[in-house]
Amino acid sequence: MPLRARTSSVLTILNIAALSVVFFVFARQFVVPFIAERIYKDSYKELMFKCDNVMRDHFIAKNRVLASPSDEAIKILHAAEVGLSTCHDYDMLRKRLISLGVSENELSKLGLEAIEEKANDVHFFVENHEIRY
Amino acid sequence: MSTSLWRTTRFAISTVCAILVLGLPAIAGQETAFIRILRAEVLANGFAHARDLYVNPDEPLGSVGKIIFESKKLSLNGNIACQTCHLTNFGSADGIPNAAAIGGTGEGPKRLLSGAKLLPRNTLPFWGRGGKGFETFFWDGKVDFSHGKRISQFGSAPPSADALVTAAHLPVVEVREMLEEDPFTRAHMRESVKDSAAVYRAIVLNLRRFEPQASDELAKRLNKSPEALTYTDFARALAAFIRSEFQIRPTKLERFVDGKESFSPEEIRGGMIFYGKGGCVVCHSGRYFSDFKFHAVAFPELGFGKNGFGVDYGRFNVTFDPKDLYTFRTPPLFNVEKTAPYGHSGSVSTVQEAIVAHFDPLRLANLASMDSLGRHDFFVRMTLCSETANTVGFLEYDDVNDLVKFLKTLSF
Repeated sequence: MPLRARTSSVLTILNIAALSVVFFVFARQFVVPFIAERIYKDSYKELMFKCDNVMRDHFIAKNRVLASPSDEAIKILHAAEVGLSTCHDYDMLRKRLISLGVSENELSKLGLEAIEEKANDVHFFVENHEIRY
Repeated sequence: MSTSLWRTTRFAISTVCAILVLGLPAIAGQETAFIRILRAEVLANGFAHARDLYVNPDEPLGSVGKIIFESKKLSLNGNIACQTCHLTNFGSADGIPNAAAIGGTGEGPKRLLSGAKLLPRNTLPFWGRGGKGFETFFWDGKVDFSHGKRISQFGSAPPSADALVTAAHLPVVEVREMLEEDPFTRAHMRESVKDSAAVYRAIVLNLRRFEPQASDELAKRLNKSPEALTYTDFARALAAFIRSEFQIRPTKLERFVDGKESFSPEEIRGGMIFYGKGGCVVCHSGRYFSDFKFHAVAFPELGFGKNGFGVDYGRFNVTFDPKDLYTFRTPPLFNVEKTAPYGHSGSVSTVQEAIVAHFDPLRLANLASMDSLGRHDFFVRMTLCSETANTVGFLEYDDVNDLVKFLKTLSF
């Protein structure tokens, strides 16, 4: 094979390799996080809500034991501690999303969206209020 | 398809697969941890093997007890047997909200519609009754021999030291339940030992007349003459049969605890909710998944209620202590999936609804159809449910379904 042709095929291979790397980096940085976020968005919000819920239950149970200790209160606290396992699902999903390239910022945004979802009630109320008066 | 397009497609597919698959090992590890936690929680909260729950001091009387259990002559004048309301095909209860007692024909829903006289409460199933540590009977615990107590309608002189034998004395003398009101019963409808003894004597004579073989056999096994038989002897036979027939048998949960059977992911999740955020274990703990204490849960009320006008004060009817208003004994959970409907008045028809009643009772309450007394009564019950409200965590639709899957592992 003439040298020129050989050089050309090497360059083609290098080009393809470079393009693949660029494509891979692009996919890893933008496509995978984008798809992962789209797929797990709702689950993430739901698990965040559930975890928040059991954490609040645990906090109240702990304070009940401090304020008025009893066998019952200790039983409730123990159940609340087991209940914290719900947060394990949330933690796992959070770590999985981070490993798939979803940024902390994006996750915080999802968290805020979940917390503020009840804000729609206010919009609904204001709309009705305006229509009525 | 061009090569580059094929490669792009392949890359896209593998990316999506990677996203889906990346977490699997983590999920598997998490389930193993949950299995360990669940097993430990089951053992730590009073679990006992079925073989350790069975006790039957009068076992030889069981075959006679079966005949008495099935005999309508146990009812002095009401033509009804224990078996009329405690049916195998309804999980040892009757499948209807309020018990349909004397004056009806058929079983279950058919009996309800046949004009039977209704009782204010849901028929209780028999699973585990009289087993080791099962000494609190009826919705309001009117027979309670637990922790050395001797509570019953017989005051300081119960007919037997055995709680189940004592409990077996009650339905037969309950007007509407197994006793029709006639001149004889009216003449003895007084709270005196002498009057109740006369009714029990009449029942014994009835049984000796219409179930002579069983009576003779009972007398033979007790080594006494048929004339010397008392109602307590028949109650002992009934208790022996109930203990044997409705004894707790090995469940899927038991096999899970022993490492002989695995749980599905839903059953594991349900178990974690039961022992965790659901807080079910706070009251449904111990050998029979009941603390045998009394708690208020704002179930909808159905029927005329023990106290009339759709009101049932529950345990208060036994103790007259206002703290006990609207409280009922924590129901044991073995075979719970088979014993619908649920609640003291049978007002909810599924286990899911029964769970919802513990943390979101308003979802089940049809406020528009209640009269003002009904709404007031419901409001009072809601305020008295603070203990339950502080115990049971918020559950979502899937959580409730997982919990039901776990409860089904208590069936046999």
